Amino acid sequence: MGLPAAKLSISLPGDLAAEIRRRVGSRGVSGFVARAVAHELEREQLGAFLAEMERELGPIPKEALAAAKRAWPKR
Amino acid sequence: MAEALVLDSEALNAIANWSERGALASRSRAILALAMQRGSRVRVPAPVLAEVCRGPKFDAAINHALKARGIVVEDLTEAIARRAGAILSRGKLASAHAIDAFVVATAAEYSTAVIATGDISDFATLITPYKHIRLFGI
Repeated sequence: MGLPAAKLSISLPGDLAAEIRRRVGSRGVSGFVARAVAHELEREQLGAFLAEMERELGPIPKEALAAAKRAWPKR
Repeated sequence: MAEALVLDSEALNAIANWSERGALASRSRAILALAMQRGSRVRVPAPVLAEVCRGPKFDAAINHALKARGIVVEDLTEAIARRAGAILSRGKLASAHAIDAFVVATAAEYSTAVIATGDISDFATLITPYKHIRLFGI
């Protein structure tokens, strides 16, 4: 189990807040913001991890990147 | 739900031991970098840990890779377990393939997913019904 939920007071641009409420309703705002923050945090952590590996091993070989792109084409 | 890169045990091992895995690490880094570019989640189905957490000698690297590196363990839910059973049944496969089936069932939760694996052939049959799941051999 994680820590209990923390109440935070944050400010968002009005149009962003309105769009969130439109999509998930007032009661869903905390959950929506929590998911968005978790996703952003994961992206930052993954970016730092990739940078750590690049410092040690150098750039990712082009062939490996090309293979990954072939397996996972653009949407 | 969103898009995900789902790691099997070989992929997780290659990432956890990146400094000593040569070509495997290159391909793993490449697919991780692509996941990052695409804004995709990176997930390890919880049952995969049963294949890689085999004592302190192995666990340290795995623990390190799963600690604040954007690679998240996805819990095994009842829905995922039931779907894995259906996948095994459809493929007429024995329970020896259960962990692979959990990996596919976890990937199936997402709108699109790529499974990074050490053995594509193990997964080719299992993903047949899921057109939104692709495979990447590390």
